[in-house]
Amino acid sequence: MTLPLPALIAGLGLASLVAFAVRKRLELAGPFTLAALLVALALALAAPVGEPSELLQLELRLDPLGQLTAVVLLGVLAALVAVVWLDEPAYNFFPTALATATAVVATLALSSPIAMYAALFLGLLVPVGSFTFQIHRNRSAEAAYRHYAFVALGGSLGIAALALAGSLPRDQPPVTFVLLVVVIVIAFALKLAAIPFHTHAALLASEVRAPALGLYFGVLVPLTFIAFARILTLSGLLPAIVQIAKVQDLLLALGVTSALGGAFLATGSTELRRVAAYSVIANIGQALVGIATLSGPGIVGAIAIVLVSGAGATQQLLAAGALERRSGTDRPNAATAPLAALAFVAGGFAMIGAPPLVSFPGRFFVEMIAFSYSGALGTALVVATLGVLVAQLRAAIAIFRVAPDHWRVERRPVAGIAGALVFLGLLVGGLQPQRFLAPIAAFADTFIRALRPF
Amino acid sequence: MLLLGLVATATLAANGARRLRFMAVAFLGVSLAAHLIAGPATSLAQLSVNATAALTSAAVLFVAARDGRYGEDPGWRLWLSTVVAAASTATAFAFLRTVATADVQIVLLGEDPSGITQEVAAFWLLSSGIAILLTARGAVRGSLGALLMLSGAQLFVGLAPGPQLAFTLLLSWLEVVVALAGAFLIVNERALRET
Repeated sequence: MTLPLPALIAGLGLASLVAFAVRKRLELAGPFTLAALLVALALALAAPVGEPSELLQLELRLDPLGQLTAVVLLGVLAALVAVVWLDEPAYNFFPTALATATAVVATLALSSPIAMYAALFLGLLVPVGSFTFQIHRNRSAEAAYRHYAFVALGGSLGIAALALAGSLPRDQPPVTFVLLVVVIVIAFALKLAAIPFHTHAALLASEVRAPALGLYFGVLVPLTFIAFARILTLSGLLPAIVQIAKVQDLLLALGVTSALGGAFLATGSTELRRVAAYSVIANIGQALVGIATLSGPGIVGAIAIVLVSGAGATQQLLAAGALERRSGTDRPNAATAPLAALAFVAGGFAMIGAPPLVSFPGRFFVEMIAFSYSGALGTALVVATLGVLVAQLRAAIAIFRVAPDHWRVERRPVAGIAGALVFLGLLVGGLQPQRFLAPIAAFADTFIRALRPF
Repeated sequence: MLLLGLVATATLAANGARRLRFMAVAFLGVSLAAHLIAGPATSLAQLSVNATAALTSAAVLFVAARDGRYGEDPGWRLWLSTVVAAASTATAFAFLRTVATADVQIVLLGEDPSGITQEVAAFWLLSSGIAILLTARGAVRGSLGALLMLSGAQLFVGLAPGPQLAFTLLLSWLEVVVALAGAFLIVNERALRET
């Protein structure tokens, strides 16, 4: 069965309103949200690839990368909702998850850069409500405000720059387009929490509930990165990047700073959720370097890294949340929730790009192309990967420092099971990498063609 | 030009307001004047959607204030943000617009075919919004900054080619969501202050 994309988006939007209406009846809101997400996932999987539909003269079309991303992100959302429903009740999470799903599908299906950007902006604003909880006991309200400010700043700047780029006559001096591309890059860096624009993410990582953090790092950050690559392709600004190396240098500098800075911060973190969040920031840096190389392998690797990091981060953040909750005031340890602890460690394999998981080819491509670009760049990325590896090892040792007398699976091991499912997905993807990489390679081909349109 | 003056004056009024309710009313003035600047290029449907979104956003902030006294004193931030906004408007306009081949006619009242006043208003709103947001201490001025920036971005989108009614609908929804999220943060901030 197929459903036109506007109907799928409208259906998800309607479902989020229904979930909002029944949000305080957890026994109803939880299963309803999960079922809506699973139906949307099945419909996205069955959607005819490349077939256009139109709404108010806006073209909607799901390309192979759009379909892959929709399936991965809706799957991650479903895992988050399952954990919130069964293990960590938070009534406002359900409508938020469905509204985010609406924004995800809309961002991936729209083919006008301005409309795509507006849908992404909406999606990034939606979790503000979920970030805030027990405001008298923590700084979650401040974290939510910072996130709001960063998103508003990046969102408005990006829309304005895209609109200006579209409205200016093409006979402008190159510096005008370079300025616009720089504004767009900074607008996305603000939303991606790339270093040095990461202060809101750092506060979120320590103050916000784990599922809400998973919503940001597992769904919205990957969506933002993929939207960035697609908007660059569709906006017609890529030739300006090729002509003037400064923009490419800016992207490379941003990427290397994020990769090394994220790895450094992850290595120094003692909290599990911070280790996961900074590992994502380090991986985003690697992905930015991949895009900045403007090469096929770099782009394929970048998008693969981002998608896998989102799934791995969700797995780790859910596990960290379960471990923290069960440990109470003590430091999280495996004795209280062994399955969640194992899920956290398994998520670390995805974050460092270890084979045979599907995270390996992406990292291999980006580091290989970085070495061919310059030895220093390649070395910096390898050092960043080693930093993330050390951070993950330290976190694993800290969790397993207390050996329980006998291993017994925790009661309601929802985070552990969700982690196992994500790990299984990454393993299957690693055994059949061509099925995962083919849609990304098709997009990389479009990206390369957009670089030199004539 | 007259509408541009109205946008600038209303922005200064919103920026200088100590009370959230006054800020909300001033924002409504900014938004309506900004959308009227585009003149006959904007269809009635677009104008209605824009006006509804502006009214809803202002109403959301008005209600979030809960009483007439709640707000945030801008203090020195008013002058800093005004100076920064004026300087960056001039700089951005100089760098990002080339009018060498355009026939520019500026009139006090009436149509602006070159789009100059619309662009200046857009740069002014964007710069003012950024300056207010970056100097804000809390969600009250933060929300105003976010809404002004978005209004500026909406004016730029009006100049871009593409399905304008669809863009208007999307950006109007965005404006309401920005106001709702801002109001949510204001209510939380107040709850924290009062305990």
